[in-house]
Amino acid sequence: METVIKQKIKQVKKGDHAAFEDVVTFYQNKVYQICFRMIGNKHEAEDLAQEAFIRAFVNIQSFDSTKKFSTWLYRIATNVSIDRIRKKKPDYYLDAEVKGTEGLDMYSQLSSDQPLPEEELESLEMQTYIQNEIMALPPKYRSVIALRYLDELSLLEISEILDIPVGTVKTRIHRGREALKKRLRSV
Amino acid sequence: MECNKEAIKLMHKYLDRELSQKEEQELRAHLQTCEKCQHHFHDLKRTVTLLESTSTIQAPSNFTAKVMDNLPKEKKRVSYMR
Repeated sequence: METVIKQKIKQVKKGDHAAFEDVVTFYQNKVYQICFRMIGNKHEAEDLAQEAFIRAFVNIQSFDSTKKFSTWLYRIATNVSIDRIRKKKPDYYLDAEVKGTEGLDMYSQLSSDQPLPEEELESLEMQTYIQNEIMALPPKYRSVIALRYLDELSLLEISEILDIPVGTVKTRIHRGREALKKRLRSV
Repeated sequence: MECNKEAIKLMHKYLDRELSQKEEQELRAHLQTCEKCQHHFHDLKRTVTLLESTSTIQAPSNFTAKVMDNLPKEKKRVSYMR
């Protein structure tokens, strides 16, 4: 797949915009997942993931073709997300409980596109629960956890994506896991 | 072995698949004698399993089409990379 992607990137660099479509299709779930893990809600994650791909497209000439494309793309996705977190006012998280309700959050106020089968709902609840716990971590721990459990990325790859030393990646993953362990104890 | 530091450090190395054979033996031997660390290790592995089992988040179905629609028509010269 890596070779196919390389070929597509070459075409995009030459001005073939349509070739970018396959790149987006191939990486969309990964990029969306990074953004979702970082920001914690679907609508913003979609917005951020789109922005990441658009930035990648606009800056494609600065991508060094001898390097791994996914490293570069994931870096853009984490940077876009971190920028958003920095700018964000902390008081309108969709996960926040709606005042005057019990256990109702803004997710429940959004209409879903289609009814979900029970199994899916169960895993979605788990998903939401774990995501809430991830959101309780500081962003720098969130990003390493997001990347580590995205695609079994190696510590070295994570260090390249986030542009921090491998030792720092290790420390953050360890601390992130310890913090999550405490919070997930009741599941 | 000091539980709070050394053993926990080895547990994380294990989870990152960075444990040498010697360290693995050390950790194994310690876990056999220390119930507190057994629990700690169990909880950590469970956390990782939970994280892995929920790592199947999918982008919305029309995602690619939306990105393609939103691409700038002409290339701008903006440098993103630092």
